[in-house]
Amino acid sequence: MELFKPEFGLIFWMFLAFLCLYFILAKFAWPFIVKSMEQRADLIDKGVAYAQQAKANLDNAKAEADKVIAEARNQQAEILREAAKMKTQIIEEAKVAASAEAQKVTEAAQVSIEQARRESEKQLKEEVSELALQIAEKILRKNMSNDTAQKELVNRLLNEVETKN
Amino acid sequence: MWCRYAYIELMMKKVITAIVALVIVALMAFGYMNASHHAAKGHESKLDPKEVIFEHLGDAYGWEIPFSHHYRIPLPIIVHDKQGWHCFLSSRLADGKEYDGFKIATEGDYKGKVVSVDGTRPLDLSITKNAFGIFIAAVLVILMVFSIKRWYKKHGMKAPRKGTAMLELVVDFVYTDTIRPIMGREAPKYAPYLLTVFFFILTMNLLGLIVIFPGGANLTGNLAVTMVLALCTFVVTNLTGTKEYWKEIFWPDVPFALKCPVPMMPLIEFLGILTKPLALMVRLFANMLGGHMVVLVLVLLIMIFTEMFGAAVGAGTAVISVLLSLFMLLLDTLISFIQAFVFTLLSTIFISMAHVKHHVKVEVNKE
Repeated sequence: MELFKPEFGLIFWMFLAFLCLYFILAKFAWPFIVKSMEQRADLIDKGVAYAQQAKANLDNAKAEADKVIAEARNQQAEILREAAKMKTQIIEEAKVAASAEAQKVTEAAQVSIEQARRESEKQLKEEVSELALQIAEKILRKNMSNDTAQKELVNRLLNEVETKN
Repeated sequence: MWCRYAYIELMMKKVITAIVALVIVALMAFGYMNASHHAAKGHESKLDPKEVIFEHLGDAYGWEIPFSHHYRIPLPIIVHDKQGWHCFLSSRLADGKEYDGFKIATEGDYKGKVVSVDGTRPLDLSITKNAFGIFIAAVLVILMVFSIKRWYKKHGMKAPRKGTAMLELVVDFVYTDTIRPIMGREAPKYAPYLLTVFFFILTMNLLGLIVIFPGGANLTGNLAVTMVLALCTFVVTNLTGTKEYWKEIFWPDVPFALKCPVPMMPLIEFLGILTKPLALMVRLFANMLGGHMVVLVLVLLIMIFTEMFGAAVGAGTAVISVLLSLFMLLLDTLISFIQAFVFTLLSTIFISMAHVKHHVKVEVNKE
């Protein structure tokens, strides 16, 4: 059977071809390819690790940002509350100041009114006394006979005038 | 759900039946035409299936081209006899011609080989069909492997596309998933050899399945080819073997009576060294040869049945034969890959087994 008898020529050529193939590929191709593939595998592994790290970092950053925002919100609320407080305080103070001022004005007005009243009283008294004098003069002119009666009359008149005012 | 599948299946069956019927009718017509043509010409050659099968599986000095049994691509014949080297094209010896004192023997021990006119066989280093096929396979492997290298040179760390991606997938499968887990730190050192073996075998296997010119040579189904490959693995295994490996062969850790005075275990271990490459050689050879042979027999059935029962039966057989051989070729494609992989895997295992470090002795509790 020819098939089961290896032919020397074919063995020779096969050996030659295989050795050439091996040396060419082992020298110029396989080490480079294997190295590149391993490098790429490493690169991909590193990339995955990096991505995971980045994701973790991002999550952290988000949490941090959330914290900062919450803090800011708190501060804002605080500030607003303080501002409201300050507002009411200012209003309160203003009210107090205003009422004090009003008081002062009223007091001044009262003083001036009193003064005016006193002055007018004084004037009135003077006028009344003048009037009285005039009345007295007239009465005196009319009847100078009865002194006491006259005096009584004068006093009575004066009193009347006084109570009237 | 199942009724839908059943319906599809039924439809498929109908379609297949229709196609088969059509092919049968066409082939019958063709067969009748051919038969009448032959009858008119009046010559009929007797078919010898065994001859045809072994001619297709064996080596040749020229390469057949499709649709012509007669014209062949001439290949160089290189022979050496007492007068020195002779080198000429195989076309000079076609049709039993003699040239330079050589002819192709038609019978005897050297049937189909170049012999000198007096019947002796010279040293024959001809570039035969198989040798040429080996060169083609080698060139194809070089082109494929360098295409991957070029990609990495050009594109650096980017993932390959299309054909290169497919090749890289195979390299990755062989290297990362097979060689590295088995060999560990030694993997980069032996990867070039193992990858070369894998790609060379795979290419030769697949080339063998292609019927026309660049393929069609039964390369890995040839004992010489698998022998060289197995021999290489044998040499690599035993030349790189550690001291521990040799010690385990010639002075294994077995009861003293088993190794002296009759060296039974050493003998068995030594035979083991030889059977390993032998198994590699025969496994690849037999698998590929078997696949080719089945396809050839299936195709030949057409001719045999035509000769025995006429064109109509032959045409009917053709349908079945073609379908079956199509199935066989698909199976062979799978086998091509599997056998290349198995050869590489076993080589890897043999080489790594020869690299045993000193075993840590396990304390056996004898109670």
